[in-house]
Amino acid sequence: MTAWDYLLWVAFPYAASGVFVVGHLLRFRYDQFGWTSRSSQTYENRLLRWGSPMFHYGILMVIGGHVVGLFIPKPWLEFFGVTEHMYHLGATWLGSFAAVLTVAGLAILIYRRRLTKRVLLVTTVMDKVMYVFLASTITFGTTATVLYQIFGGGYDYRGSISPWIRSLYSLQPDPSLMSDVPFFFQLHVLTATALFLLWPFTRLVHVFSAPLGYLVRPYVVYRSRDAPRGAGSRPPRRGWEKSERPLERSRK
Amino acid sequence: MKTRTGTNTRISKSISTKPGTDGPVADSLLKLGRFLRRGETSEDLRSVFKDGGRGADTFYRDRWTHDKEVRSTHGVNCTGSCSWKVYVKDGIITWETQQTDYPSVGPDSPEYEPRGCPRGAAFSWYTYSPTRVRYPYVRGVLLNLYREAKARLGDPVLAWAEITGNPETARQYKSARGQGGLVRASWDEAAEIVAAAHVHTIKTFGPDRVVGFSPIPAMSIVSQGVGNRFISLLGGTMLSFYDWYADLPVASPQVFGDQTDVPESADWWNSSYLMMWGSNVPVTRTPDAHFMVEARYRGQKVVTVSPDYADNSKFADEWLAVHPGTDGALALAMGHVVLKEFLVDRRTPRFVEYMKKFSDSSYLIALTPRQDAWVPGKFLTADALPGTDASVSSAAFKTVMLDENGEPFVPNGSIGHRFSEADNGKWNLDLEGRDPLLSIADAPDYDGHSVAIDLPRFDVTPDAEHDTAGQQHAGAAGIVRRGVPVRVVAGVLVTTVFDLLLAQYGVGRPGLPGVWPTGYDDASTPGTPAWQEEITSVPWQAAARIGREFAQNAEDSQGRSMILMGAGTNHWFHSDTIYRAFLALTTMTGCQGVNGGGWAHYVGQEKVRPLTGYGQYAFGLDWVRPPRQMIGTGFFYLATDQWRYDGLSADTLASPLGSGTFADRTTADCLVESAKRGWMPSYPTFNRSSLDLVDDAAAAGREPAEYVVDSLRDGSLEFSCEDPDAPENFPRVLVVWRANVLGSSGKGNEYFLKHLLGAPSAVRAVESMPARRPKTMKWHESAPEGKLDLMVTSDFRMTSTTIYSDVVLPPATWYEKNDLSTTDMHPFIHSFNPAIAPPWQAKTDFDIFHVLAAKISEMSQTHLGVRKDLVAAPLQHDTPDAMATPHGTVLNDQPLIPGVTMPRLVVVERDYPAFAAQLGALGPLTAAEGMVTKGVKFNPDVEVDYLGKKNGLVASGPAAGRPRLSTAIHACEMVLALSGTTNGRLGTQGFRQLEERTGVKLAHLASDNEGRRFSYPDVQGAPVPVLTSPEWSGSEHGGRRYSAFTINVEHLKPWHTLTGRQHFYLDHDWMIELGEQLPIFRPPLDMHRLFDDSIVGATTASGATGSAGHAEVAVRYLTPHSKWSIHSEYQDNLLMLSLSRGGPTIWMSPQDADKIGVRDNEWIESYNRNGVVVARAIVSHRMPEGTVYMYHAKDRTINVPVAETSGMRGGTNNSLTRILLKPSHLIGGYAQLSFAFNYLGPTGNQRDEVTVIRRRSQKVDY
Repeated sequence: MTAWDYLLWVAFPYAASGVFVVGHLLRFRYDQFGWTSRSSQTYENRLLRWGSPMFHYGILMVIGGHVVGLFIPKPWLEFFGVTEHMYHLGATWLGSFAAVLTVAGLAILIYRRRLTKRVLLVTTVMDKVMYVFLASTITFGTTATVLYQIFGGGYDYRGSISPWIRSLYSLQPDPSLMSDVPFFFQLHVLTATALFLLWPFTRLVHVFSAPLGYLVRPYVVYRSRDAPRGAGSRPPRRGWEKSERPLERSRK
Repeated sequence: MKTRTGTNTRISKSISTKPGTDGPVADSLLKLGRFLRRGETSEDLRSVFKDGGRGADTFYRDRWTHDKEVRSTHGVNCTGSCSWKVYVKDGIITWETQQTDYPSVGPDSPEYEPRGCPRGAAFSWYTYSPTRVRYPYVRGVLLNLYREAKARLGDPVLAWAEITGNPETARQYKSARGQGGLVRASWDEAAEIVAAAHVHTIKTFGPDRVVGFSPIPAMSIVSQGVGNRFISLLGGTMLSFYDWYADLPVASPQVFGDQTDVPESADWWNSSYLMMWGSNVPVTRTPDAHFMVEARYRGQKVVTVSPDYADNSKFADEWLAVHPGTDGALALAMGHVVLKEFLVDRRTPRFVEYMKKFSDSSYLIALTPRQDAWVPGKFLTADALPGTDASVSSAAFKTVMLDENGEPFVPNGSIGHRFSEADNGKWNLDLEGRDPLLSIADAPDYDGHSVAIDLPRFDVTPDAEHDTAGQQHAGAAGIVRRGVPVRVVAGVLVTTVFDLLLAQYGVGRPGLPGVWPTGYDDASTPGTPAWQEEITSVPWQAAARIGREFAQNAEDSQGRSMILMGAGTNHWFHSDTIYRAFLALTTMTGCQGVNGGGWAHYVGQEKVRPLTGYGQYAFGLDWVRPPRQMIGTGFFYLATDQWRYDGLSADTLASPLGSGTFADRTTADCLVESAKRGWMPSYPTFNRSSLDLVDDAAAAGREPAEYVVDSLRDGSLEFSCEDPDAPENFPRVLVVWRANVLGSSGKGNEYFLKHLLGAPSAVRAVESMPARRPKTMKWHESAPEGKLDLMVTSDFRMTSTTIYSDVVLPPATWYEKNDLSTTDMHPFIHSFNPAIAPPWQAKTDFDIFHVLAAKISEMSQTHLGVRKDLVAAPLQHDTPDAMATPHGTVLNDQPLIPGVTMPRLVVVERDYPAFAAQLGALGPLTAAEGMVTKGVKFNPDVEVDYLGKKNGLVASGPAAGRPRLSTAIHACEMVLALSGTTNGRLGTQGFRQLEERTGVKLAHLASDNEGRRFSYPDVQGAPVPVLTSPEWSGSEHGGRRYSAFTINVEHLKPWHTLTGRQHFYLDHDWMIELGEQLPIFRPPLDMHRLFDDSIVGATTASGATGSAGHAEVAVRYLTPHSKWSIHSEYQDNLLMLSLSRGGPTIWMSPQDADKIGVRDNEWIESYNRNGVVVARAIVSHRMPEGTVYMYHAKDRTINVPVAETSGMRGGTNNSLTRILLKPSHLIGGYAQLSFAFNYLGPTGNQRDEVTVIRRRSQKVDY
């Protein structure tokens, strides 16, 4: 247990979580009109039509897999009769399918972003940084899976990485769980943590604005006035509050 | 609709019976949603009702709340003059929207409201744009030189004298022009440099070497007026612009004796047959185009004539695709049909009556023998009639008709009746019960006497015979023989103008000698529809049909056929002939002076409706008369040394029937002659200072005028125009404001750069060989470069002009000042108002000129003092000067008599130390000597008192006790109070005066408004319709729509012409020499034969630098108005750049593009002898083969790369053009062919040019 272990597996994840939460709050408060996926569909849509669904459905499956693998303790799954072998089969096959979908989708998206001139022109610096971390996270994760799960003997991260994450959430961080984790898993975890740190400052905020509500919402929304404040909905500014008319005052 | 068939009947039922959503899945999702959120969901699942949560609205509400909303308009030369709401938030101008409060047009017509176009809506971008001029700038080289010299010499004027006097330092800063290096200077220092240059120039060279240029006062009356007043009071030269822009239709003074007067756009609605001829209304008159579109719902037929498939053709019932510049032939052919079918085969009563009363058709023309036939000569006048003695005043200016019995008589209304006391009350169009003969053949005692006459034609192809040595540059011309009925009157063989008109148009009558067409399909002789088809490519049947329809409609609707004409037909060298053929159509069908009929020429926002007040203010007529006003084209032709390259022989333009007076003379010689005869103004005038001349005369103990005449006679004094390259004749200071002369109007841009400014240029032409040089001008072996000592420009954006200026001053934009605006397109006067104060260090034009004036006055104390100045003024239109040349006969070797055979010579006083005080106060002459506009004198005694009370009186100084003009609003009040259109008392007064002169009732047109007077707050409130006034020829009386010449037609007030009628015939010697007595077709100039340019369509190698190995094609080069800019304004506006392709482009046909292997959007290079321009090609089927368009006024500030041809950056649309003078525009001192400012002068035409185009390297550098 070195200082590095504490730094990488305790300080860094907590810092990232803090920035993630506070960053989103600040972004929502001060840059609400910048809260967007920065769609580039108007500039190019033929590649996007394939790349975007592939990537998004893939990544949703990947996220689902991670939730099962990381946040549900092994004994709980076993209680429901999911054996190690079943889990491994599911994780490997379903995971590989999701990974192929995600990696291929991402490849199309990056190819499009780099080689479509109009799309490149609307790409910001933060977009590029985000792409680096997103791509490396996915690459390292896939590499680790291929190296250790498929061609290696199989590595049971549910005995190390998953408890480590849960230890962070239970506020009893145990960095020792991570010290012997294979290299590419470590890299994967680190780049993912960095990605969470950058998250609020990138277009990834759109994850929290996914238009799921539209599925269940009528298309006409009427909103009544909040309070009888006179015309408009703006709260009166300080010093500009309406004065009462003398008659109203005398009635009080 | 699969869901409605087959097994899914349940769903189809639910869809058909009750309103649902997208099916059962959607329904269940929405039903589920009721449990997932607050708020009440409607029964049909379409709506949800929530309490509150409207915080998000705040943003959008804030976006549309403003701290103030201010009325203003755009001072841009677009004729729109729309009123706008300008919004301000937190001290920042956010945007603008259209005003909607125009006065109503009345119940029978669409309204003006709303007006505005995308360009105007984009203006607020400029306020904070990157090209906004925020501070005064001076070129660094000059500033360093000046600071050094001033520190050493201690006096600004001495410092300026030293810098400009030393050839080394002068070359240093002049050659740096346009090469960047403008640095910020303080207002004080910049104003000091400008003032020093003025004072030094006046002191050393004379005040007429100070020149001002600011066009189109109507677009911001006071901003133009204050600088014009500044220049005028200094004794400087103001340049005309209307003729220089080639917007002046010279045919208007020729035919109507009027600068330009046209119907307002709402009058299009009254027309039932509208031809748009060379005017692309939806593009260039965007806010008014709706009247045309709406009139179509009323049954109006719309015909367009244009070489390309222009935007307006989309609205047209018929499109006549005419070859560029050949419109005159089409109009003549239509006239042929009208004359034949409506005035010969059948005498349409309305047309006949109109022709007799309102045109010169019944007047007698003397015929002159020539070889075996006759040629038309001069109007027969009263002095030729027996029994006319010397007691009859101006008998040589009273033209003669035959009455119904064939007896000659002198009808009222000619110019001879206009000025003398004896003829008071006779200047009218009343024929006093006589019915004049239209044709000699109509006389009851006509004996069948007819003669053969020869008429010129210019449509012939040059033949080998003309290509002999020495004649290779001669124009192609021929002779056509026709015949007219004649009669001997007072011993002179005469015929009528109408008879000549029929001969000219080739409309035969039985028994006449000569060559006549056999029918409309006879192309062998000029005038017929078939003849025009060979020239214009318009099928002869179509030409005949449209001509017939035009006339038939005029007959049926009592004159409501209209021709809406524009720059497409007006910017040619011979546009006066094209327009005369148009005007002949509207006159012979009785449409002129009728609501919904006549000509409608909208080129330039030329109509200053409050004309008299503007004149008093802008020309400084309240302090000194007369001002110096110069023809812009003539000035720039000499100042930029284009005359050295021109060598256009006047003889090549002459008629084969001429007497040869133009032989061996260039058009430049004609300019010199015109100046020396006092026909056209000429400033700088003499090769000595006009201040020194008075002193020299005093020293010699002589009267100044006498001294000048003697000095001219003995050769010790010369006109500057005879030697424009001598340093003493250079213009020295050029003040430009509200203008972009180098980016917009400067025909021959490269010559401007080279000779006027001394900057690097891409002139490719060589100077004329000795044989082609002007004989009456002095030739210096090496041409001067950098004639100007100072070019100072005030502009709120960086333009091609500011980047070449020595000093750039930052003025307010149109949203930052008080001013007035009017236009010819609508009858309202309205205001500019500041939405914000001028930001950064900007000042209003008004304040800028007052700052400069204060400096000049201060320096004048020691350097100038009070001086006497000799002004040489040209013979003026609307004055007795117009009778200086009886019969328009040009005599040589006449004694020099100022005001008759040479310019009037007037000595005036210039009190330079009091100059600033005079600029800011209303002087005494306005009340003391009255105000004269177009021959009508106004006496504003009441108004001057009123202005003293309204504006206050000056407390002290040289102008103490005079009404103040110390703010722009004061000046607005002066303009409004002193004009008949805005002050009913003056309008009525003017009409009463005119009643005395004409003897007809007129005052009732204005007297119901006699008590109305608009002040500035009135026009701030809303646009105000103007009042009827003798300043204009139409009437708004009773709320009718304005149309030109309705007063003439309805109240028998004469036109300001020789006969008092509209002229088909012009008899000045020079008109006869050019063969243009009558409407005639003259093709575009043959630039190949005249200047060795390429032949249109040629693909031969030009040999230009960098062209080797590239395919090239020669094409006609036209520069029409753009869709995305108003001249150079807006073309650099980000919003307009985004709507258009942005930057310089040339439209070309796919055929021409194929010839040189160019695809759409590729870079091309276009060049001729004048220069080179680089642009991207827009390849479009809209364009006809052989013609390209480059929208004019493309500034060199946007996307202009380095040219391969010249190796230099730049080139504007005017890099390919050059000034060409037409002698007939230089005529003066004869009836309607007399000078008035912007009324008559040589046009800066540019349409005849040919250019070579090739594809260039697609890699461009900047």
